[in-house]
Amino acid sequence: MEDGATVGLGGWIFYNTPMALVRALARAGRRDLTLVPAPGSIGPDLLIGAGSVSRVFCVFITFEHLGFAPNFRRRSESGALQVLEMDGPGLAAGLRAAADGLPYVPIFDVGTDLPRVNPEWYRPLPAVDGRRLLAVPPIRLDVVLVHAQQADEYGNAQLLGGAFFDPLLAMAARRVVVSVDRLVPTRTIRRVPERTKLPSYLVTAVVECPRGAHPTGSHTLYDPDEGHLRAYVEAGTRPDAYEKYLDRYVRVGEERYRELVRRGARRARTGCEGDER
Amino acid sequence: MNAASTWTTAELQAIILARELADGEVGIVGTASDVQVAACNLARAMHAPSLSWVSGPLGTVNADAGALLPTADARLIRHAEAVVDLSVMIDVIDWRPGFFDFAILGAMQVDRHGNLNTVVIGDHARPKVRGPGVIGTSPLAAFAKHFFVLLARHDRQNLVERVDFISAVGHYRGGSSRASELGLETEGPRLVVTPLAVLDFHPVTRSMQLRSVHPGVSVAEVVARTGFVLDVPPDVATTPPPTVRELAVLRRCVDRTGILRRGRSDTRSQRLGDRPARPMSAGTTHTRTKPCRT
Repeated sequence: MEDGATVGLGGWIFYNTPMALVRALARAGRRDLTLVPAPGSIGPDLLIGAGSVSRVFCVFITFEHLGFAPNFRRRSESGALQVLEMDGPGLAAGLRAAADGLPYVPIFDVGTDLPRVNPEWYRPLPAVDGRRLLAVPPIRLDVVLVHAQQADEYGNAQLLGGAFFDPLLAMAARRVVVSVDRLVPTRTIRRVPERTKLPSYLVTAVVECPRGAHPTGSHTLYDPDEGHLRAYVEAGTRPDAYEKYLDRYVRVGEERYRELVRRGARRARTGCEGDER
Repeated sequence: MNAASTWTTAELQAIILARELADGEVGIVGTASDVQVAACNLARAMHAPSLSWVSGPLGTVNADAGALLPTADARLIRHAEAVVDLSVMIDVIDWRPGFFDFAILGAMQVDRHGNLNTVVIGDHARPKVRGPGVIGTSPLAAFAKHFFVLLARHDRQNLVERVDFISAVGHYRGGSSRASELGLETEGPRLVVTPLAVLDFHPVTRSMQLRSVHPGVSVAEVVARTGFVLDVPPDVATTPPPTVRELAVLRRCVDRTGILRRGRSDTRSQRLGDRPARPMSAGTTHTRTKPCRT
């Protein structure tokens, strides 16, 4: 992936976010990325906090009941981050235009302030039968990162719970990189082919990352780690604390990250108070 | 009906909304929507057995685990009647006018005319507060036949004269402007349910007015904590308190683990109760919710 690339991120808020790939991208020190995240939390926020992102297409970035996305919030409020404000129809239309090879896809103008702040992506069209319309040009992704529960050696990737925007993001991308919790034989894939939401012909590369969605959940395999997410939000509100978070969990590499997470889980299970910090 | 003795604000809000949902309607619920899900499942259990509600993120229809789960949690799939992938659902969420009868939407700011803001407080280029964004609220506010606004707070910061950013349109500039200027034929916002009161809109001016104050809340308190001059009709009622039966069905059949009783500080593990995450594959015997008795 090059500096300046347009990168899609799959999943949904606290689920199926390709976090191992996000951490790798932050570690690699990529700069000036344009990020196109599905509704997200720590996925987009971590990349923004690591300084990798100069523009973000924002449809929804939040930690829900845990609070606002801290780095997204700080960098938007300071003007350091360019926010291309989108809504569901804008994102869906832009991805469909890219997926379908169309110059634009029309949506209804529903009276929001979006065309005012994002005129490049919400362009007026002549009204039809009294309905006001907007044209959304294609949102073409150089690469999309998604997380699936399992895939085989050919790249048939299976989502065992919800699919969210992942198939649409994949159709809009030149390259599709999938992290999976486990590699499985093709005969396992063939048992439930209807779960192969990302067939091999769409998938460029598969990366085996056990618990690779952590601290978000991976559908049917593990739940979101709310303790970790809560600590992240707290660290993210102060730049010095956030640097420590990056040192501790991101710059150490994925092996060490998994070890820290395993230790944290053991501590939570046994109720032992000891903290290795 | 007997009135119950104690309840939480979240329980009261779910019950108020449930009473507004009619049998046969089709509604949609977004992400982070415990009260909304409770309202839909309570309505189905009480008086609207053929109401359908869709989880926006997951596409499940009528997911009812007997306990409240996040609307993006895959466990809902095992407790649903159907699952329609988002890439298909967006046709009716983001495009087709009039598909949904109702939506229940939240906001950082709501103004006098029921316009919603989930984007920024202050100027968009250099906001004072950067909010989460718009997601599917804009087309749902425009094209659901009507919508409800649900607020977790009621103060002068979130009930304002004019929103800083219109992310989902209500009665726009008031009067008939929603139809005449924007060409929208749907009703728009019907009710605003806050922790203090239920508000609706004057039929001509489409300005927010006080419909009822919750038990124990005074009209003066609601007026003082609203950031615009609220229309107060001469005969403001008290919100009918939850009945014993409504609370019993809510607690025993809809919210067995008491998410709404604890407020919003619950942890996910408490919420998930005793059901561990388990891989689903062909041949898994899916658990069925036990029939609920009250």
